[in-house]
Formats: sequence, C-alpha cells, structure tokens
Amino acid sequence: MTEHSAGPPDEYVEAEIHRMLAEDPAVAEQGITVVRRERGLVLYGEVESPHRREEILRRVSERFPDVPVTSDIGVIRTQAPTQVEELP
Amino acid sequence: MIRIAAVGDVHLDEDVVGRFRPALEELPDCADVLLLAGDLTRHGTEAEARCVAREFGDLGVPVITVLGNHDHQCDQVPQVVKVLADAGVTVLEGTGTVLETPGGRLGVAGVKGFGGGFAGRCASDFGEPEMKAFIRTTNESAGALGRALRGLDCDVLVALTHYSPVPDTLAGEPLEIYPFLGCYQLGQAIDSAPTALALHGHAHHGTERGTTPGGVRVRNVAHPVIKQAYSVFHLGGRDHLD
Repeated sequence: MTEHSAGPPDEYVEAEIHRMLAEDPAVAEQGITVVRRERGLVLYGEVESPHRREEILRRVSERFPDVPVTSDIGVIRTQAPTQVEELP
Repeated sequence: MIRIAAVGDVHLDEDVVGRFRPALEELPDCADVLLLAGDLTRHGTEAEARCVAREFGDLGVPVITVLGNHDHQCDQVPQVVKVLADAGVTVLEGTGTVLETPGGRLGVAGVKGFGGGFAGRCASDFGEPEMKAFIRTTNESAGALGRALRGLDCDVLVALTHYSPVPDTLAGEPLEIYPFLGCYQLGQAIDSAPTALALHGHAHHGTERGTTPGGVRVRNVAHPVIKQAYSVFHLGGRDHLD
C-alpha cells in the first residue's frame, strides 16, 4: 500500500486540475495551462478580472489541499488600440 | 476604405462589466463596425448576455457577432440571442448581413464553427455514431458559412467565426488540441467566396496572423491574443473586388 503524500503531483492530478478549471462553473476557464514543476504546479494564462484569478487559486487549493500550487495568471489589458492594421 | 474593429473571447459576467467601455467609447472615431468573434459570456446564461448587452450596446457603431462554445454551455442560446438582438446586436449563425459604410458595402457572414482538425490530421465521418455526429456538425457548420458568404452582394466580404479556419493562427497552442480549436472545412468555405478577411477567436494561446490555402488573410482576435480592447483593420473599399 502506498500512502498519499504531499510530494510532487502526478500526471493524473495535473489532468484533474486542468479539467476542473474548465468544468467547475466557478472557474470555466479553458485557457489556463497547468505546468508540473519539481516543487508543485504552476498555473499560467490570462483571465478577464482579478476576481477570476483569485477564484482559480482558491478553488484549486480547496479541492487539492495537499498539492503545492502557485499562480502566474495575468489579467488581460483592455486599452484602446494605438495602431491599426492596413489590409490593402 | 472600410474600418473594422474586432475582438473575441471577452467572457463577460458582472465582474468584467465596465472594463471595455472606456476603449469602446472611442469606436465611432476609428471604426465603421465592431465584430465579436464569439465567447461573449462565461457560461452562456441570459444574465451574462445582459452584461454583454450593457457593455457592447449603444456604441454608436453597428455590432455583429457569432456565438462561441462558452455561449452554449447553459443551453440558453435562444435567450442569449434575444437579449443581444434586443440590444441591437446582430447575431449570425450560418447567415450574413450587409452594411452600408462610407467606404462601401461591407458583407459579413458568420457561423460559430466547430472542431475537426486540419488537412491530413482531422476527424472523418466514419465509425461510431458519436464520431460521425461530431464531424457532421463540422461539415454542416462550414457548409452554412460557405452558403452565407456566397450569398452576399457587397464590395468587401468578411467571414466571422469562433473556431479557427486555419492552423496558422493556432501556433502557440499544443498541437494535440488543434482538432478542438478549428477545422479546415471553415477555410474551404472561406475560400469558396471572394472573402477579403476572416476573423476568429477561441485559441487563447494562438497567434494573430495567418492565411487560408486560397490566400485569404486570417486574424485571431481572441482577447488574450490581441491584449487590447479590440483590433482595428482597414480594408480596401469599393475597388477591392473589381
């Protein structure tokens, strides 16, 4: 028997988190990348509000309390464009 | 010259309302129309559609959209379409519309599209019923886009989809998920008409520029890709198709 340890997450945990990000109605993000690093998982990507960024980390930590997760998720800028593309 | 503003994948809900508005207020000065490439909402609820209507309503320029996969999540498509239509937004699904602009008549044909994959690496109409249903959805969607494009009488023709018609604009996404991001049949439909520009979203990690096999310019305007409220394209006007 093997006990569940707090070691590096395996591929199944990564897959489960990736699916949760899309399927959990509180998250519903398909554009977040889950990357396994030696010390845990890192979440990359961009979302539409700071609230969503916080919610992602909260939901993942809540569901996988033993998995060390860090977030490098950005909020997409919404400034008006300064240039146009000419398509003759 | 016709000025087209475009963005996709804005995924609106209460927490995003107001973020785009300052940039959108500038639209009448820089564009003749705003095209939205689907995924307007997070889950496709009527309440989220009302957020879209608040953010993208009363802009001073016509707004034309297709829906995306997120807009289908809660099975409330008729309600979502009604809220958008009531706000003056034209929703295309296998249909087209022609706008009179100072630069000429702009024709826009749109469809959500679907996955399926790209030439030589795509799903086939073969095997289990589920597989056949998948690819038939792809074929029907692309067929509807082609018919809508060929049916428009205009000076400049633009195709609007959520899923990608080419693999070029997916560069940056994992190769393994390309079949879920678009299909070559949409490109084929775009190439079946004198299309000047094809706009799509859906691929958040993709890249901006590509072309169809027939040489039509394709732009991925997903918000995470363009990293601004919208992009603006200037398209050659009345003489473009002469």
